[in-house]
Amino acid sequence: MADTATSAPGLSFPRATFAKLTPAPFLQAHLKQPQPIRPSGRKPDELREPVINTGSLSHSNGSAVVRLGDTSVVCGVRGEILLASEVPHPPNEDVSEEDLVENLGLLVPNVELSTGCSPAYLPGNPPSNSAQSLSWRIGSLLHASSLLRPDDLTISYTEPKSADMGPDEEPNTTVKAYWTLYIDILCISLDGNCFDAAWMAVMAALKDTKLPKAWWDADRESILCSPHANDARGLTLNSLPSTTTFAVFSTASPLKQRSEAESWVLADPDAFEEEICLESVTVALQGDKIVRIEKHGGPRVGKEAMDACVALASKRWEQLQKLGGSV
Amino acid sequence: MQADRRRLNAPAGGTAPPTFAPTTTKPPRRARKPDEHRKIFLQTGIVPSAAGSAYYELPPQSIPQADGLLQPATSSLKITCTVHGPRPLPRNAAFSPNLLLTTHVKFAPFATRSRRGWIRDASERDLGVHLETALRGVVIGERWPKSAADVVITVLEGEEDGWHGIGKEAEGGRAGGWGSMSVLAGCVTAASAALVDAGIDCVDLVSGGVAALVGAEGEGRDEIVVDPTPAEHDIKAACLVAYLQSRDEITEMWMKGDAGNELENLLEQAVRSATLSRSVLVDAVKEAAEAKVGLQEPINGRSKKGQDVTMTG
Repeated sequence: MADTATSAPGLSFPRATFAKLTPAPFLQAHLKQPQPIRPSGRKPDELREPVINTGSLSHSNGSAVVRLGDTSVVCGVRGEILLASEVPHPPNEDVSEEDLVENLGLLVPNVELSTGCSPAYLPGNPPSNSAQSLSWRIGSLLHASSLLRPDDLTISYTEPKSADMGPDEEPNTTVKAYWTLYIDILCISLDGNCFDAAWMAVMAALKDTKLPKAWWDADRESILCSPHANDARGLTLNSLPSTTTFAVFSTASPLKQRSEAESWVLADPDAFEEEICLESVTVALQGDKIVRIEKHGGPRVGKEAMDACVALASKRWEQLQKLGGSV
Repeated sequence: MQADRRRLNAPAGGTAPPTFAPTTTKPPRRARKPDEHRKIFLQTGIVPSAAGSAYYELPPQSIPQADGLLQPATSSLKITCTVHGPRPLPRNAAFSPNLLLTTHVKFAPFATRSRRGWIRDASERDLGVHLETALRGVVIGERWPKSAADVVITVLEGEEDGWHGIGKEAEGGRAGGWGSMSVLAGCVTAASAALVDAGIDCVDLVSGGVAALVGAEGEGRDEIVVDPTPAEHDIKAACLVAYLQSRDEITEMWMKGDAGNELENLLEQAVRSATLSRSVLVDAVKEAAEAKVGLQEPINGRSKKGQDVTMTG
């Protein structure tokens, strides 16, 4: 110990100090080894193993807790009733079934980062840009993948047959109300890649969601729900998409030749890596179908790298299939 | 009210929570002894990016959905607490000879039977003030002049405020607000554990305890119970204390309702309740401290860090 201290007195700082002082060279030194290992001990293409618990919150219709390394996210789904008579601008007849959910705004996802999950997001302020963008991305992906069937969310009423109705006449059926699903996502602990963790939590919570049986009570002129658990039913979900996020670390600099720059694609980045990587890729897959690819910033990801990302994303999809059906 | 443009909002028509058809259910009954506290689960170090953190839970007592109903009769209490700091005050802030302690208490929207908003309401701010006074008495603020620390609490699941029979929602959501006392007691205990985890010097561990004067069933006198579950009792008065056992000091006391002659007994039982939760707090802190000095494996099972590398250039 004493020998090393005398031979290299300048380099006897602990790892954490280097990581704090010069984060980019620190990460580069790890990735430049013959067998690249990230500071967290993972390989560049290694995903963190998710841990998913469902149904632990008693006041939600469906809930899930997802832990992805040191990132943990809680999601609660709660159903409330929107009366069809109170919709200010009822959708036209020509609105297709798939668009109905989006048109009425029946899914309300919100991500909250100001829960003390990280010193960067202290409470007492309005939601930061990243929290707002996360909510929006989750909402748009929910609508784009048309997960929910509108039938599950409508409460309709069939009028009883009256005496003056002919034997062939069908009784009138009207839509009286819709279920609105509030999807509240709280980040409890943040160590990078909040989007994947939040999306997994939303998927697991929706799978866990059971809505009570509801009907229009003509005498009370209101919607009543059955308090019995046996009457409640789950949502019919199409196959659930999975998302995988990658960060791209690059040594490119305007002071250097372009050819000297090296870049690495890091799967499932943690907070330390997210901070130094300027470029990121998110791939959403539904089985072998690509639902969405988002790429932000930087020119480093070419065709090959993108293919590798999609291949890894399908690995995550399989990993999630194994974990719990099609979460 | 103007919609919150920073969040995704409910549909314009407004939504109402579901109304359930009436059923005949009886409120749950207390199965514990009057002087028995619910089991407490407390763990520190759950948020690695914070200076200190703790998770506090009172697991549900009865088997949920035993009667085949969708809504559980009682709820458990789940609280996470993180401490950020001490960190230096910004340059433009006024000089402070002490550590400035800020507390935030926020319920998750799904924490209670009626959905809560995202913005802190007055009751949550009030809980924050109570918590601040409870903690200010233990933190040795003089050791950190010109610095600040934040105590942030998120209540993932709150205590019920009373018995909500199915079909009784119309009678006003919060009957008396008794539940917030148990929540605050949990907050005090969790915050104390998180402060220790953050390494902020305290004169002692502070623990929260609640006792209540409840009406007896049928005939008989009112009795005092420790750690009441509002759904199980007809509460007449309740008292919360934040108690430092080794110094025999109370940093915060909050009493509601008419206790009559039983005032002192009620206070004594609340202190007793606080000493019961203190034993859990001591164990949790001790366990975390042992893990830190390497006597034990890390409790939160963190992945092993990478090996040292040589840095050049």
